[in-house]
Amino acid sequence: MSARRPMSLPIFALVCLAFLLGRTTAAQQSGSRVGAQESAQQKLLDEGEKRFHANCGRCHQSPHRFPPRMVMTIERHMRVRATLTDEDMRAIVAYLTQ
Amino acid sequence: MLSVSLGATKCGWVRWLLLALAIAPAALAQGQMQAQAPAQAEAKTEGPQAGPLDPNNPDVVLPAVTAVPIFSMGVGMITAWQGGQPNLEPLISPVGLIPIGQKWLIEGRGTFESDLIPDPRGPGWKGYLEKEADYVQVDYIADKYVTFSFGRYLTPFGIFNERLYPIWIRNLQSDPLILPISTGPSGAGTGAMLRGGFNVAPKAELNYATYFSTKLTTSPFESDRDWGMRAGIYLPGPRVEFGGSFQHLLQAGHSNAFGFHFAWQPPPVPLDIRAEYARSSNGSGYWLEGAYRLSQAPVWKDELRHVQVVGRMQEYYVGKFEDEDDDLPMVNTKLFEFGLNYYFRDDVRFVSSYGRQFAAEGGNANVWTVGVTYRLAVPVGRGDAR
Repeated sequence: MSARRPMSLPIFALVCLAFLLGRTTAAQQSGSRVGAQESAQQKLLDEGEKRFHANCGRCHQSPHRFPPRMVMTIERHMRVRATLTDEDMRAIVAYLTQ
Repeated sequence: MLSVSLGATKCGWVRWLLLALAIAPAALAQGQMQAQAPAQAEAKTEGPQAGPLDPNNPDVVLPAVTAVPIFSMGVGMITAWQGGQPNLEPLISPVGLIPIGQKWLIEGRGTFESDLIPDPRGPGWKGYLEKEADYVQVDYIADKYVTFSFGRYLTPFGIFNERLYPIWIRNLQSDPLILPISTGPSGAGTGAMLRGGFNVAPKAELNYATYFSTKLTTSPFESDRDWGMRAGIYLPGPRVEFGGSFQHLLQAGHSNAFGFHFAWQPPPVPLDIRAEYARSSNGSGYWLEGAYRLSQAPVWKDELRHVQVVGRMQEYYVGKFEDEDDDLPMVNTKLFEFGLNYYFRDDVRFVSSYGRQFAAEGGNANVWTVGVTYRLAVPVGRGDAR
């Protein structure tokens, strides 16, 4: 009669190691992706604030907060009226709606 | 043996299962990262203002709502004294913006104002209501370089008429003397326009507008038959803009007009410097304006940050004066104005100014203005989620 041996310690350690490695890798990759997005978003917001003051501040006092649905219209209006560039508009919308 | 074999087999199966379970997260993580952006975009949309990813930059999240129509209005009550003669100038200027789809915009602005003077026959004031259709235009944003505009538009000659005219934007309530040059009988043209702004270098933007207008004599939609263009370079770093305008009249006179504009907002200082020069066969002149917001004052910061100090110098020289309807001065004129504005909020302010006008043929006079301006803007609709 042979006794059923429990899983040996090295194999158990290997399982745990693989599990931890997997979790860590997923977290790191997910985190790096989210981090990249947050970084890009923050960069755009900073750029938006700069462009808001450089463009809108030429005629308007700042900053006046509008709901995002109004910002989308106002920026289209200013795209025409103040000949904002496409890049200006994109960054300013991000800044005013964040 | 059988049980041993079974036991060994079962134990091996469990081992492989455990190994698979342990490795699965890593494998899944590897695989999921390839398609992670949409999932994260969905997560982002849970926020009240987060929408889909920007197609031009997958790392950027767009707002969750679409543009909605806006009703806006400027209201002003200005009292002016010119040479001791008082004028009450109440004004309402409604603005409508109607976005359609992603590229269209219908926009319009009207002005209802009155110029009330004391009634010589008794107490009270008399005057009449002036109605203006400032602009009613349809815009189509074709791409990053070109926007088409059709209808009645503000004549893009210089910068004051298009950008600084509204009473809730201008720093001094009186019009520049040269404003009527080339802006037509009502500051607007009727026809079509191409315009746009784009980067021509990493730190330089080009903006342009070219237009054709037909003649209309029907009030309040008067316009001249002409064509023209304006171009400017804007340097966002030092916040300097300079440019020029040209217009050719395609009706009586067939004259040319040209002008230059300049604007500078030195970034570390709350100072606006603007200037325009214009010349036509009717006359020529310039204005130079500086406005300083006392937000960096070393004392009384809470009070002084609401205060703006303005100064403007302008001169006008009469030309051949072919068109008597364009509201230009009849004689050579110099005017210096000094103003104080107080911003209760960014949309409500008290305005005041004193000016001294020097004009030929005894036209010297003091010019005072006091008033309040207010601007509101409200959305019309809730907007669709996208």
